[in-house]
Amino acid sequence: MFSAEGLAGPLGRGALLVGLIGAFFGMFAAISGTRNNDPKVMRLVPRFAVLMCVATVGAFTAMEWAMITRDFSLAYVQKVGSWSTPAIYNFTAVWSALEGSILLWVLVLTGLTVGIAVKYKTRLSDPMVGWALATMFFVSVFFFVLTLGPANPFAAGAPGVLDGPGPNPLLQNHILVMFHPPILYMGYVGMTVPFAFAIGALITGRVGEGWLVETRRWALFSWGLLTLGIILGSWWSYEVLGWSGVWAWDPVENASFIPWLTATAYIHSVLVQERRGMLRVWNLSLLVATFSLTILGTFLTRSGVLNSVHAFSDSDIGPFLLGFFALIVVVSVGLIGWRGDKLRAPGTIDSPVSREGAFLANNVIFSVFAFVVLLGTVFPLIVEALQNRQLVVGEPFFDQLAVPVGITLLFLMSIAPVLPWRKASGELLSQRLFWPAWGGIGALVLSLALGATGIEPLLTFMLGGFSGGAALRQLVLATRRQGWRGLVGRANGGMVVHLGVILIAVALAASNSFTHSQELNLKQGVPVSFGGHTFELVNFSEVVDARRTSISANVRIDGGQAYAPAVTKFKSMGQNIGTPSVRTSFIKDIYLTLEPPVKATSKSAKIKVFIKPMIMWLWIGGGLMGVGTLLAAFPGRRRRPTDPVSAPVPTEELV
Amino acid sequence: MKKLKSWPVWMLMGVIVVALLAVGATKDSGPRTQGDRIDAISKRLACPTCDGESVYVSRASAAEAIRTQVARDVASGKLTDNQIIAGIARTFNAQVLLVPRATGLDSLVWVLPIAALVCSVVGLAMAFRRWKRQNLGDASAQDIALVERLLAQDPTDDENV
Repeated sequence: MFSAEGLAGPLGRGALLVGLIGAFFGMFAAISGTRNNDPKVMRLVPRFAVLMCVATVGAFTAMEWAMITRDFSLAYVQKVGSWSTPAIYNFTAVWSALEGSILLWVLVLTGLTVGIAVKYKTRLSDPMVGWALATMFFVSVFFFVLTLGPANPFAAGAPGVLDGPGPNPLLQNHILVMFHPPILYMGYVGMTVPFAFAIGALITGRVGEGWLVETRRWALFSWGLLTLGIILGSWWSYEVLGWSGVWAWDPVENASFIPWLTATAYIHSVLVQERRGMLRVWNLSLLVATFSLTILGTFLTRSGVLNSVHAFSDSDIGPFLLGFFALIVVVSVGLIGWRGDKLRAPGTIDSPVSREGAFLANNVIFSVFAFVVLLGTVFPLIVEALQNRQLVVGEPFFDQLAVPVGITLLFLMSIAPVLPWRKASGELLSQRLFWPAWGGIGALVLSLALGATGIEPLLTFMLGGFSGGAALRQLVLATRRQGWRGLVGRANGGMVVHLGVILIAVALAASNSFTHSQELNLKQGVPVSFGGHTFELVNFSEVVDARRTSISANVRIDGGQAYAPAVTKFKSMGQNIGTPSVRTSFIKDIYLTLEPPVKATSKSAKIKVFIKPMIMWLWIGGGLMGVGTLLAAFPGRRRRPTDPVSAPVPTEELV
Repeated sequence: MKKLKSWPVWMLMGVIVVALLAVGATKDSGPRTQGDRIDAISKRLACPTCDGESVYVSRASAAEAIRTQVARDVASGKLTDNQIIAGIARTFNAQVLLVPRATGLDSLVWVLPIAALVCSVVGLAMAFRRWKRQNLGDASAQDIALVERLLAQDPTDDENV
């Protein structure tokens, strides 16, 4: 009888090889077709894109098949597969370590390449599209090489292995592992598209505003997905890691956050280029920085030079990634230098007190902050290299620098939405900022009335009210004039994103400043009070299966529903994983963790209680940012060329 | 309405904000629980076996041991936060602080961000100076009249999109 066992390896390797060949020929077809202006060759390009994407889907399916059938002939399945892993976590185990993550990267990348080839199939003769596709293929070639070389998910494993440890216990403890990594990857890898068009624009010399129009939505969607991925990661951290926080400035978190910062700077400053034809070099640099930082971040966290809670394995891909990063930077900087004459902006910015002035200030802050986070992340490496000693740069360092940055950004978010392009008079600012400013004062009064103290949280709440007022003012004015269309378009959708950011800032300030915690020694049936609530240990429950032993303490809060923080011991790893239990409300979360020692037969339990205000608003803010991104991607009302606030935008310079 | 938005009202708003912030900043934030103090100290300490995680975040056994020690020191009520941290450094013989020092090579991690900010702001200021020099000047009365005429034609025009 036919047996599929052991087939996944050869099939997967074969599919990746076909993918590499497709990417390689696609790249050459795109370059040759564009250089020789040969439509016949260019017509082949989408076919190569589809070929490499189908091959990658095949490889990914083979990997899933190997995982589902527990094909322990593969080293990767030996590493992250296990007979005892539940189906859903077995499915997600494919991206639970380096090799599978790179495979997921390739899947997203080849999917995007097909997306571009299909979207621009009628414009393949346009050299900018041709070079952009060539860049996408080139990046794909690199990642296919990784999957066939140092990060091969289909490498043969040691013979005779019949079972494995399964994925890291932290990756089989919450459903969010299904969504957080793929969505984050879609955003992360999505940054390749605007980068590819930037390279296309530089090579063709069409560095006017045309290429921006092509990439605007790609950049926006990638940014939105990266935002959503980061928020989901924070949620996962909160629900799984048991320390009640959402962000630990872990190197992998930083690796996703740094490109997010530069991408955020880009989606603001690109408006200045679209509107005024300025900041061309700067915008190209931000795109190059964003893409290259995704590669650098992957190098830092996947090569083993830095370790973190996310770095589930070390590998040999470090030199490949570092070399690729260096290549991108050198080529991009070289191209920018080569096109220097065409990149010189024709216009000027009249006044710092203008919309474009605010965008520049925003860019300075985001860029400096990206530099600070990168510096803090790599600083231990620098110290170790120079002085051969260990140094830790952790949360307090990043927090100290993030607070003033956050407050300054909130201030800018208060002022910028009301600023006109070109120049603002004092009278105009006084008119437009008046009610938002009262919104800030109202928020400050409300915070004090609710018992808030401390300069940093109060400033955050006040500026939250101020910036919220400014964003709402814009939305009210726009909807009054245009009805529902006043909610769509970049400016209005952007204001919805701002409202989401403000909610997140306020929620973080409230939860970081006013969380109270206490370890309670609970005895069965005896309620204990803390923070205005009572906590009573009802009993313990124990679940034992092939995979784990899990002990939960059922704790009744305020005489009502019982919550069950647990400690789980995974047999394959011998590691104790705490699982918090959270009572959520719009005002505050009550977050319970079960602390060691834990015995199912005991009549008492050590429960750590965190009372955390406003956490729910963090997730609502994240959702609002997602909605705002979608609204911003809708075409808003077209601006007429006679709009008086606009400077004449130069036409595209053709080679 | 115009009077309402005049500068004396803005001054009054400024005074109100400063006064309210002063009240809030000096107001007693209430008693800290022992748990709050343990958390605050744990956030400043590096887990010796976890590569970058704080004792507060880490669930590793080494972090667990340090948390227990911190809890014991806090419960004794005799030591300040800094004394507790110094004691942990002695007991666990490890690099315990998560914040680099402000001396030697470590100081670069503090100096470079400030230098980057100063350079960016100075660069921006220079750019604005250059742009000002290049500026063609203010709009003439004729330009303003043209803009006003066009604005009047389209009253639904966006304010600042």
